[in-house]
Amino acid sequence: MKRYLETGNFAITEGAILAGCRFFAGYPITPATELAESMSYRLPQVDGIYIQGEDECAALHLCIGAALGGYKAMTATSGPGYILYADPYGWAIGCEIPLVILNSGRVGPVSGITGAPGQGEFYLTRYPTQGGNFETIVLAPNSAQEAMAITVEAFYLAERFRTPVTILADQLITDGFEDISVPENEEEMKEMGFRTWPRKINKGPEFYPPTDEIDIPPVVLGHNTGALCSDWTPTEEGYDIEEVAAHHKHAYRLIYKIRNNRNLFSNLYEKTFLDDDPDLIVVSYGTPSRVVNTAVKKARERGLKVGALRLINLWPFPDEHFQKSTRYLSVELNWDGQLVREVQRAVPKDAEVHFLGSCGDLPTVQDLIETFEKLLKGQSLSRRGWELEGW
Amino acid sequence: MDYLAKKYTRPRKIPSTACSGCGLGINHKAVLQAIYELGLEVEDIVWGTSIGCAGRQTFGTWKGDGFAGTHGRVYAIARGLRLALPSEKKIILTVGDGDAFGIGLLHLIHAARSNADLTVIVNDNLGYMSTGGQYGWTTPLGSKTDSSPYGMYEQNLMSDDIDVLSMLKHAGATFIARHVSMDGQRAVESIKKGIRNRGFSLIHMVYPCPTNFGSRELGTRNTIKLYEWIESRAAPLGEEDENTVWATGVYHDASNSRPEFSENIHKNVERIRRGAAL
Ligand code: SF4
Repeated sequence: MKRYLETGNFAITEGAILAGCRFFAGYPITPATELAESMSYRLPQVDGIYIQGEDECAALHLCIGAALGGYKAMTATSGPGYILYADPYGWAIGCEIPLVILNSGRVGPVSGITGAPGQGEFYLTRYPTQGGNFETIVLAPNSAQEAMAITVEAFYLAERFRTPVTILADQLITDGFEDISVPENEEEMKEMGFRTWPRKINKGPEFYPPTDEIDIPPVVLGHNTGALCSDWTPTEEGYDIEEVAAHHKHAYRLIYKIRNNRNLFSNLYEKTFLDDDPDLIVVSYGTPSRVVNTAVKKARERGLKVGALRLINLWPFPDEHFQKSTRYLSVELNWDGQLVREVQRAVPKDAEVHFLGSCGDLPTVQDLIETFEKLLKGQSLSRRGWELEGW
Repeated sequence: MDYLAKKYTRPRKIPSTACSGCGLGINHKAVLQAIYELGLEVEDIVWGTSIGCAGRQTFGTWKGDGFAGTHGRVYAIARGLRLALPSEKKIILTVGDGDAFGIGLLHLIHAARSNADLTVIVNDNLGYMSTGGQYGWTTPLGSKTDSSPYGMYEQNLMSDDIDVLSMLKHAGATFIARHVSMDGQRAVESIKKGIRNRGFSLIHMVYPCPTNFGSRELGTRNTIKLYEWIESRAAPLGEEDENTVWATGVYHDASNSRPEFSENIHKNVERIRRGAAL
C-alpha cells in the first residue's frame, strides 16, 4: 500500500488503472481538467492511451469506439460537458457498451461558477439521454479515497451490466487534497474490497438476447463474429428493426437487467445513528454528507435523536431506505431541490419531508444543527434568506 | 450484385429496401468491387455507417462486423475504434452528405486532421432525402427541395469558390476524390486508392435520388431523366465546361505521406512506456 497526499483526480486515475482502464478521452473543463491531465501522464506509462476530443460529444464517442474495439474506457467532465454526452450516452446505453463516465459537479446552470461545488445533475444522470426505456447506474463518492474505490466498482459494474456507469462527484471531491492509500497488488486490492471484471467478447449470433440476465459479454468489433450494433432498435442479432415487439424486448433488457440485479450494488450506502428509530433522518450524498455526518454526531451529543443516511448508489433510486414513517431532511448543493423530490416519492404517505439547499458553498455544522432543532420542534423551514433555502 | 453480393453481403439485407431507381446501390457496388479487386476478405474490414438513406441502407449489409453511429459522430467512433484495432484491419464508412458535411463536419475535419486510417465514402443524394427531401450542404444552387421551394439560394459547401473537398485537403486528408454514380470503373479505381492509403481518405460520390430529389427538382421520378441530369453536370477533372457542377476524379493524393493517427499514438505510447520503465 502506498500513501499519498493527493487530489480526488489522482485517486480516480489510480482506481481506473487498477480496474484495467487503458483508454481515456477527455476535453478540458473545470473541475475535471486535472483528471484528464493525470490520465495523460499516467496512461502511457501503463501502455494506455490518452486522447483529447474536439468536444465532449466526440470524447465520449471516441470512448465508445475504443470500447467497441475491446478497451475499458473512461471520460470525465462537469455539467456543461455532461449535457454534450446526451448523444453518445444514449448510443452506449442502447448498444450496451461498458464505459465509465465521471461528472464533477459545479455551479450551474450553464457555465455558472466554475470553481465551486454543485449538485445540479441528480436527475440528469438518471436521464442523461433522450428516449426513455432504460435504467442507469449512478454512484456518488464523498471522498478522494472513496472516489478511487467507486471508480474500480464502476468499471466492474459497467462490464457485468454492459452499460455506461456515471460517477457523480463534485468539485471538492475531485480537486480537494486528501490522504489516499493506493493498493499495490491484487491482494491489497482484495483487502480493500476492490473487485474487477475482465472484458469478454460476445461471439454471437445473439448479441442482444431478450433477457434480464447480466454477464452477457458486450459487442466487440474486429474479431469477425459478425457483430452488429447501431442506433436503431436491434433484433437479437443486432439488425435494425422497426417493430414494437422487438423494441419491447430491447427495452425490457435495458430496464430490467439493472432493476432485477440491483443487489450487486445496493449495498452502497452509509447509515449513521439509524438503529434507534430517529425522529429525523438526514439524507444526502457527496461532499455535503461529510458536513451532515459531523452535524448529526454533534446533535446526538446534544441529545437530538437524529440519524444520517448517505446515498452512494443514487440510481436506480434505493427506495428500500425510506420505509420508516418519520421526518426526513434532504441536504443538497442546489437551490431547487432535486434529491428531495425522489425522497418525497419514496417515503410512506404520512412521512414529513424537508429540504435544505445551498450551492457553491457547503452548509455549516451550525446551520445544520439549527435546522435539526427547528424541525424536531415541529417548526417549518421557511425560506431562510438567500444564503440558505429551506422547506 | 451477383458474385460480389454473395461474397461480401448478407442475404437478409441485400437487396436493400432503398426505393426503386435509387442510385445508392451503384455506389455500394463500386465499393464492393474495389474491395474485391484489392483481394480483401470479409474479416479484413469493419464497416461503419451513419444514418439517413446512405447509412441505413448500407448498415448490416457487410458480412463481417459492422456498426452504425449516431448522426454525424461516426468519425469520432471510428477514430476510437481505429486505436483499438490492429493496423491491418480496414475501416470503411458509408455515410451521407448531411452526416458528413453538416452535423458531422467538425468530427470529419478532426478525422482528416489526425490522418486516421479510414476510408469514408460520402454518398451524396444532394440533401436530406430520407426525411422527405430538404436542402443540404451540397444541394446545387437553384435546386428545389421541400425546404428550398424557391430554389436553393444559400451559399453552400459547393458553391462559388467554396468546396468542402479543398477544406478537407487543408484539414489534412491524404486522399480525396469526387465522382458520380455513373463513373463506373473510374470511381472503383479511386476507391481502391482510398482504401490503400494508410491515412484518411474520402471519396465524395453523388448519386441520384429519384423519389425525393428528382420529384422536386425535375418534377418527375423518372430515373433516366435524373441520371441524365446528373451525368450532364459531371465531367472528368480538366474537361469541365460551364455546365459542370461535379468535376470528377482524384482531387488530392498524398497517400502515405504523413504519419497515420493510430500508428503515431501507439508509437508515442511505446516510447513513453519504455522511458517510464527505465
Ligand atoms: S429517398 Fe432517395 S436516396 Fe433515399 S432510398 Fe429513396 S431514392 Fe434512395
